[in-house]
Amino acid sequence: MEDAREALLVLDGLTKAFGDFVAVRDVRLDIRESEFFTLVGPSGSGKTTMIRMLVGMEQPTSGEIRLNGRVLNQVPANRRPTCMVFQDLALFPHKSVGENIEFPLKIAGVAPRVRRERASALLRQLRLPVDYYDKGVNQCSGGERQRIALARALAFDPQILFFDEPLAALDFRLRKTLEKELKDIHRETGKTFVYITHSLEEAMVMSDRIGIMKNGGLVQIGTPHEIYNRPVNKFVAQFMGEVNTLEVEAAGAHAVREVQGEGTFEVRDMPEHFTRGFLIIRPEVMKLGPAAAGAANTVSGRLFNDYALGSRVQYQVRSAGGAQWLVERLQDDPFEGASDGEVTLGWRPEDSILVSE
Amino acid sequence: MRSEPKGRGARTLIALWTVCVVAFLYVPLLAVVLASFSRQRYFQFPIAAWSTRWYEKAAHSLSVRDLVWTSLSVALLVTLFSVLLAFFGALAFARYDWRGRKLYQRLVLLPLFFPQAVLGLALLLWFSVLGVQTSWHTAVFAHMIWIVPIVILIMSIQVYSFDPTLEEAAYDLGASRWQVLREVTLPILSPGLVSGAIFAFLLSWGNFPLSLFSTGADQTVPEWLYAKMVSGYTPMVPTLGALTMASAALLLLLVWLVWQTVGRGRRRLARR
Amino acid sequence: MSGRPAASERAAPTGVRRWWRRPGPLCAFPVSLFLLAGFAGPLVIVLAYSFMPPRTFSLRQAPTLENFASVISDSYYLSFFWSLFLATTAVLILFLVCYPIAYGMAKLFGRWANLVTALVALPLLISENIRLFGWVLVLLKNGILDGTLQQLFGVSVSGLLYTVPAIVLGLVYVYLPFMLFPLVIGISMVPESLKEAAADLGASRFEIFREVELPLSMPGIMIGGILSFILALGSLAESKILGGQTVIMIADDIESAFTFAQNWPKGSVLSVLLIALSGLIVVMLFRNIDLDRIIGRR
Repeated sequence: MEDAREALLVLDGLTKAFGDFVAVRDVRLDIRESEFFTLVGPSGSGKTTMIRMLVGMEQPTSGEIRLNGRVLNQVPANRRPTCMVFQDLALFPHKSVGENIEFPLKIAGVAPRVRRERASALLRQLRLPVDYYDKGVNQCSGGERQRIALARALAFDPQILFFDEPLAALDFRLRKTLEKELKDIHRETGKTFVYITHSLEEAMVMSDRIGIMKNGGLVQIGTPHEIYNRPVNKFVAQFMGEVNTLEVEAAGAHAVREVQGEGTFEVRDMPEHFTRGFLIIRPEVMKLGPAAAGAANTVSGRLFNDYALGSRVQYQVRSAGGAQWLVERLQDDPFEGASDGEVTLGWRPEDSILVSE
Repeated sequence: MRSEPKGRGARTLIALWTVCVVAFLYVPLLAVVLASFSRQRYFQFPIAAWSTRWYEKAAHSLSVRDLVWTSLSVALLVTLFSVLLAFFGALAFARYDWRGRKLYQRLVLLPLFFPQAVLGLALLLWFSVLGVQTSWHTAVFAHMIWIVPIVILIMSIQVYSFDPTLEEAAYDLGASRWQVLREVTLPILSPGLVSGAIFAFLLSWGNFPLSLFSTGADQTVPEWLYAKMVSGYTPMVPTLGALTMASAALLLLLVWLVWQTVGRGRRRLARR
Repeated sequence: MSGRPAASERAAPTGVRRWWRRPGPLCAFPVSLFLLAGFAGPLVIVLAYSFMPPRTFSLRQAPTLENFASVISDSYYLSFFWSLFLATTAVLILFLVCYPIAYGMAKLFGRWANLVTALVALPLLISENIRLFGWVLVLLKNGILDGTLQQLFGVSVSGLLYTVPAIVLGLVYVYLPFMLFPLVIGISMVPESLKEAAADLGASRFEIFREVELPLSMPGIMIGGILSFILALGSLAESKILGGQTVIMIADDIESAFTFAQNWPKGSVLSVLLIALSGLIVVMLFRNIDLDRIIGRR
């Protein structure tokens, strides 16, 4: 089972301060052998500083980084058995594709013939044509460059491979393809991948576990399933995408009251000692119009606008109290109601999420 | 694109004006070359009789050989030292972000804003206070005060476009600092190094105001030319002048050819 | 720079290792040391000599202000005036000559701009006095211009050399690249979209120039103007080779005080005044300019 794995990388109270500004604050985290772990956070959340400490480009202010029980804090980047795929890939423009991939082997003093074989093998593994060996890196497409950078990092044979948002600059479709490819490579090689990104969606596709960062600290660690279904606070819930968020206070064992007077709603699970917090309902679990009839929680309002989101359609409803509600339905199952008409929306108690902050 | 605010007429006028001004820059060079082929002892135009006798004289003159040798020694040493100093100077100027960099940038460029003649005289005083006998060795030092900042400026342009994450990536993949320098930094910055070296050589080769006060008993070609221009015309002035122009052009051509051959392989890889 | 101390690998960074981790100051160190010895040192000495009694060669005399007084009494201010006048004239002409070319290079010529750059830069690599000597050959009585005009029209223009306009010509000729290149950089820093936006908002061609192009290309104009002004202010060869003895410029006076008159303190005072004037202008320039943006185009 997953939890039986021994922790490969241990971060113990890791902190980094630049003068008065604390970029990373007391992070404790175990990363297991062969897992795909992703750190997600908005820009400024400290994830870049974090990964730069992990590869050795920055020194922690306090705390420890341990790899297989060995403290890495003072070991410079070139002596660590880990390496990184950079955000802009950092391919050497004066070297060919093959020379780029061979670079870590050349540094390690591997014989040219062996290097070349290894580079060719990596080209094949990453589904790049073997005759790309002599091609210039600047002549390759975005996706190809991505694979070359990955091949170069794999040639280093790192114990942990770090990724600093390498897909951020690519267009949507290519990014989706490469996300899956990366997950496949992870499976094929069995290496430990630590990935950072600002997109929770991207993290969901690839990761075994996800850590969510905010203001330099880890807010939640969990599997994609846990993060999606049991966010610990409003920040995590909203990070995934648009959600309906209501400020509420406890009103009985299984009910909460919206503070602006939108109504009192039934919930299934109430956290312990819950007095005041937020009720979160995802737009896709909301029912609209006739479908809402009979739901335990209902609100009525006017349908204000609709937005086509590709596979789904989103509806904005404004309730009498002035709140804006979002409802999403599949694109082939649209809501057949007049715009600006009176509508009822509703949801089941088990679809609501309650968080205290 | 939206309508170009300048019409076709203005465009042609600007192009024409540019051609005229560029031609203007080459008028005196042409004049020197013309004069060097004149047979007469005193220059007159149109040239009555053409000859290459002054070139023959120059080729056989021992004093000319001395002058060229002095100028060449100074220029070569200036090139070597300037490139070494300026390479690191340019890294500090444009590559690294450090406290005091803004001040450093300004201080390094300060000598460029200085009249060279005044700088040369100040150096003369400095050498005499330090008790250093001026000769072509001190001229190397003097030239560098003015040339190192220029080479830093030229190299900085290349360094600015250098992506520091390339160094980090190499370092991360296990390279030592020396390996990073040899495998990544130097090869990528080499065009800047070469252009810096060419500028250093040619600026030293042609420098006059700094040489004037710092060479002591030795004399460089530009110094000798100046002395002859002020004190009395000899047909050797245009001849030597034309020769220095030809040697500068030859050097540039040579470097360009080497660059073409070496660069062909490189460019195939690194098309920017 | 004794290399990486292996033993202290895991210890806190100290001493040499701390330096290693700050490559900026480390790289700046050799150049700074060199300029300290070769630039700052001489300037201090010049300043020291300016307070020595006239015609002394040692620095061990009682300081005096005598030399500064003699600048007024011996009417050296005249050569200052000439230098300022000639430099100002040259810079104004240079700006008018270079602006259209710079505009063309930055906005119109495309690939041809590289050729123009090369053609303008090449003469810089040839000794200034050879190029000025070329002008002597052109302007000389029976020289290239005079000879050609005589041949074609029978007109003689013999009095061109050794005049004030000849000196201005020399200054404009020699310092043209120093005005042109900063201007090109300055003008290319003006985004085309801003001009289009101004045009779209109803600005005329001249209003666009005055309200958008001129202020935004100001850093380049300032650098070009000040660089060529200061270099012209301290120029020596132009007035000597093309001006004969018509006009004495300040650098001329400085040179003869040091060499012919053997009066180092007098020369030092004139140098100090020239340096102070140039230095003041440069400091004012540097305060308003971001070098990273101009050189690195960031």
